[in-house]
Amino acid sequence: MNIENTQSQMRKGILEFCILSVIRRGEAYPSDIVEEMKAANLNILEGTLYPLLTRLKNADMLTYRWVESNSGPPRKYFSLTEKGLGFYNELETTWNELANAVNTLAKKTESLPDTTNQNPSF
Amino acid sequence: MKKIININFQGRVIPIEETAYEALKTYVESLRRYFHNEDGRDEIINDIESRIAELFSERLKRGSACITDEDVNAVIASIGRPEDFEEQDADTSSASSGAANAGNTSGSTGNTGRGSGPTGGSSAGYQQQPNYGTGRGRLVRNADDKIIAGVCSGLANNLRIDPAIMRILFVLFLGITFWIYIILWIVVPVQSVKTNITKRLYRDPEHRVVAGVCGGLAAYFNTELWIPRLIFGLPLLISIVNGAFRGPWFNFHYFPGFLTGSLVTTLILVYIVLWIVLPEATTTSERLEMRGEKIDLNTIRDTVKEDLLGVKERAEKFGTEIKDAAQNIGSRASTMGQQAGQRAQALGAEAIPAARRGGSGLGNAIGVLFKIFFFFIAGCFIVGLLGGLVTLFAGAFAVMPFKDYLLEGPWQSLLAWSSLILFLGVPIVAIIVWIIRRIAGAKSRNHYIGYTFGALWIIGLFCFIALGIAIKRNFDYPGRIHQDFSLSQPATGKLIVRVANSTTHYYGAWWGGKWGPFGFNEDSLLVKNVRVKVEKSEDSNYHVSSIRASNGSSIRQAEELARALSFQINQQDSTLYLSNGFSLPSGQKFRNQGVLVTIQVPIGKRFLVDRSVNRRYYWFMMNGISRDNWDWDWDNNDNESYRYETGVEYTMTAGGLERVDGKDKRHRNRYNGDDYNDDDNDDRSRNKSNNDHYRYKELKDSMGEKDKEKIKERLREEMKIKDSINREKRLKEVIKTSSVSTNSKQTLTNNDDDMPNNHLIISPVLIFARL
Repeated sequence: MNIENTQSQMRKGILEFCILSVIRRGEAYPSDIVEEMKAANLNILEGTLYPLLTRLKNADMLTYRWVESNSGPPRKYFSLTEKGLGFYNELETTWNELANAVNTLAKKTESLPDTTNQNPSF
Repeated sequence: MKKIININFQGRVIPIEETAYEALKTYVESLRRYFHNEDGRDEIINDIESRIAELFSERLKRGSACITDEDVNAVIASIGRPEDFEEQDADTSSASSGAANAGNTSGSTGNTGRGSGPTGGSSAGYQQQPNYGTGRGRLVRNADDKIIAGVCSGLANNLRIDPAIMRILFVLFLGITFWIYIILWIVVPVQSVKTNITKRLYRDPEHRVVAGVCGGLAAYFNTELWIPRLIFGLPLLISIVNGAFRGPWFNFHYFPGFLTGSLVTTLILVYIVLWIVLPEATTTSERLEMRGEKIDLNTIRDTVKEDLLGVKERAEKFGTEIKDAAQNIGSRASTMGQQAGQRAQALGAEAIPAARRGGSGLGNAIGVLFKIFFFFIAGCFIVGLLGGLVTLFAGAFAVMPFKDYLLEGPWQSLLAWSSLILFLGVPIVAIIVWIIRRIAGAKSRNHYIGYTFGALWIIGLFCFIALGIAIKRNFDYPGRIHQDFSLSQPATGKLIVRVANSTTHYYGAWWGGKWGPFGFNEDSLLVKNVRVKVEKSEDSNYHVSSIRASNGSSIRQAEELARALSFQINQQDSTLYLSNGFSLPSGQKFRNQGVLVTIQVPIGKRFLVDRSVNRRYYWFMMNGISRDNWDWDWDNNDNESYRYETGVEYTMTAGGLERVDGKDKRHRNRYNGDDYNDDDNDDRSRNKSNNDHYRYKELKDSMGEKDKEKIKERLREEMKIKDSINREKRLKEVIKTSSVSTNSKQTLTNNDDDMPNNHLIISPVLIFARL
């Protein structure tokens, strides 16, 4: 078993959710999203972000508009669509359930009941 | 001092150092490759480039004159390298997790932090696993890295070892593994698998004594250098020591036999095979692969640094005289280093995400060996097939003059030509074309050529079969014409049978030279299918008769053909001259015609069949064609009437033929070797002519009487060489059977009338016993 692998798998599972939660709060542009996540102690590479954004956009979860900028090329500002919002809500529910379950299991400290003397149930 | 170029990047003009531009280009290339299969590839690339352009703009705004290497590196760090990207899809997860970070470059926002694998530089032996490390996944054949069928590669993938090792194992135990390979080929499905092998078996050129094989092995198995060397060297040493000591001390058997004998040879063979097969780890990435270190910028950079260091040290060692050379090396090394660095960047970008080394010829050298083995066998087979076909084809042309005699009618002619071309010619052409295509490397999905050839060949096959049937039907019925020849009794009481010299010149070089069964002229075919049979006469006169025989598609036609045979028998004094053969004029067809001359000799009279009869005639009655029931005594093996030797005078007695010179007994005693009284040089001449005939032994379907005689004579010749041994054996044999025969004198002299037919069985037995 590889710890990094598992950790990475955990991250991958929630990345979309995190991105959507950032964009939900308002129009955001990739660099901003990275900043927000960094502020929340979740570091992500821009190179990871861009493909995800594109995928979400292709799945009609996001939409964007071009904004001209004086310092550099025009930027894409992403915002959630209706579908995206629905998607986000479902994910939030799932996340809450999951977090609950995980926390419950991880917080328990009492030992498991001893099953050696019980009759096996068929 | 660096050159600066202007580039048009995302619609803006950006001044950038040339080297920085190269780095940028490489990076963008790597991104492009990484997102190659992604749906929104162009969009993603565009977004990323926009971001880069933005970062560049910021830099320029802050006062830089141009974009430098550091700027580019910073940007790359910010956005991240492809191998660091985390992907959402499960099957492309080998890219993430575990990539060492560019912690060395100046940090800026977006550095990957925790959760992205071990920090720091190389981690030797770290292997990535798509699953959680426990499951090995399904066994599939590797569609990308295959030499023959990808079995070894798939298996190796599954077991996480280098395909090269798997291939070596397979070749080593070829006997068993051959069938395993075939079964796996059939059973296991093929799939394009991302090889997750980051460790391959190479030869290490840096640590070489002989060829670096041990070095490579040590690097692969992560052991010290001396361990493989010991394994390879120790048995060799032991065997040398053993040999050295065995000389003077014959009782020196301290080392077990297997160690000194076969193990050494095996190891040497293995070493040599590995030497040939394994590639040298020359490029940096290969060297990293050899050690199982991850290939990315850092490890490559470290390795390259080591190399540069080593080069520099060695250069300095050479002293002032080579200072120029050292300087040259130094500058070249640095440019090489840069190029290596850039190439390594490209490699690093693509190595892990697309970590397939399929098709890289070096690494599959072992597979090549395997392939060579198969191709050798297949090649031999094909060459043999081709040769056989060409021979048949040429042979068919050689038979061409014969064609008119054999075939009848336009249909058969057409069938013959078409079967020749289609049945023989098409495979030849097909094979040649296939060979040329393989050599030229032409690959086409178009199988029409193959199908066309196949169809043509099948047509040819049918034509061939039809031709065979048609020809056979021509030979269905036999006919024979009996004719007596009026003979005036020779005054001397001896009749000599001889073949007349023919003035017409026949050439028949193609089937065994002049002594072959046929001779050709411009307008006729000479057939020498003649046999002379000597019988006992009913009365006291000589009688000569001839039977001309032929086959045909009906009895009447056969008889007609037989009647048309012209075979002359002339008598001159006491010599009977037989025709050289009989000729078929070009209108007539060959239908297995033959002539049997029967000579009846009265008891008490003599006859001599001249050697020319043996030499000129070639008896080849085609058996199996005539299917009726007459006693075609051509093949009557035990018939006395053929059991004469030419050039020897015989007397007809009541009991059969008898030699005048009384050497008859030798007839029966072929296994005896003492032919001391060969005064008429019979054996030598006969053997000579027999040797000619031996070449055509295969042509004869029936074991005619003459064949048996020839075998006897040949045996006798062989026996001559080892007569004494045989005599001993014979004596022993005879002594064993002496209880059967009461006449002891008979057993000691090799005069065995009691065993007329057994010698044929005994003599081969004795030959084998002699062996």
